[in-house]
Amino acid sequence: MSKKRSVASVDFEKTIMAKVKSNEISMKPRWYFVLGSLFMVAGIVGISIGAVFLTNITLFLFRQHGPMGGWRLQSMIQSFPLWVPLLAVISIIFGIALLRKYDFSYKKNFLLIIIGFIVSIILTAFFLDFMGLNEMWARQGPMRRFYQSIDGKNITLPNGQGQGWMRKR
Amino acid sequence: MSDIATLSDEEVIAVVRTKDKEAYAEIIKRYQTKLLRYASHIMGDEHMGADVVQESFIKAYVNLNGFDTKKKFSSWIYRIVHNEAMNILGKHKKQQPMDDTIEFDSGINIEDDFIKNELIRHAHHCLELMPILYREPLSLFYLEEKSYEEISDILRIPMGTVGTRVNRAKGMMKKLCQKNAA
Repeated sequence: MSKKRSVASVDFEKTIMAKVKSNEISMKPRWYFVLGSLFMVAGIVGISIGAVFLTNITLFLFRQHGPMGGWRLQSMIQSFPLWVPLLAVISIIFGIALLRKYDFSYKKNFLLIIIGFIVSIILTAFFLDFMGLNEMWARQGPMRRFYQSIDGKNITLPNGQGQGWMRKR
Repeated sequence: MSDIATLSDEEVIAVVRTKDKEAYAEIIKRYQTKLLRYASHIMGDEHMGADVVQESFIKAYVNLNGFDTKKKFSSWIYRIVHNEAMNILGKHKKQQPMDDTIEFDSGINIEDDFIKNELIRHAHHCLELMPILYREPLSLFYLEEKSYEEISDILRIPMGTVGTRVNRAKGMMKKLCQKNAA
């Protein structure tokens, strides 16, 4: 007698169609998927803008706080709003995770897509900083208060309030 | 219903979505054997494979409006089975060893051909010894007769990676079969 046994003939058709006919299972409406796609696009665009903005502010803050070295490094570590670059990195990670959901992510070299995404965010941030957007926003407009809150801290240096390290503006 | 059988998968899906949801039975009929064979290979267990296929058919139906009819339906449903199998394997962590007494219904009567039968059994056994990373593309390429492009769509890996994995799997299969035969 053969020790082999055949695959159990599960009647998928009967089981599943019974659920379909009784409306136990039903199709999600088309708008659900359209909305999902729209949210995805909005998510990527929003995260990219956020990442550019935060990277741009990070560059601005680096510039304002001066080069590292000696007590300046210590003061920078103490006063630097680390949440800004941290949030920028988190935004980039989320952006990459969202990009992975798209078909092109596996059809193309995904490592190149990641590098391209990061480089384009840094370049855009550099460009915005270079164009003087930060200085403009720091001086006027609705963003002024925000810039003051992240950069307007009075840093007490070891020998009192110094002048040499201060920003030019 | 007889006309349905002449339609392509994508056309049947369009009918299910817009006119007759009972036409989904045609899709089940077309894919149940293939998907059961594929899922059983991934899971290493026919009953778990059957659970995966049933759940996949339900998920496919629920998300049918999300399927792009310009794309290939077979890749889409195989992808659902792959995801479902990976979810269950992830929950179970360790993979169940394949019962080598399972015989898949290929539609060809090979009962009398002892040698062929033994070779198939041996090949199935070797396939089961392989890590899932290589077993899956090899099974899709040789047993399901999928192209590299379709495998790329199912597993969501670049075509080059599919080729590399299939080639490595072939070498691995050869070694495993020789080792087992010795």
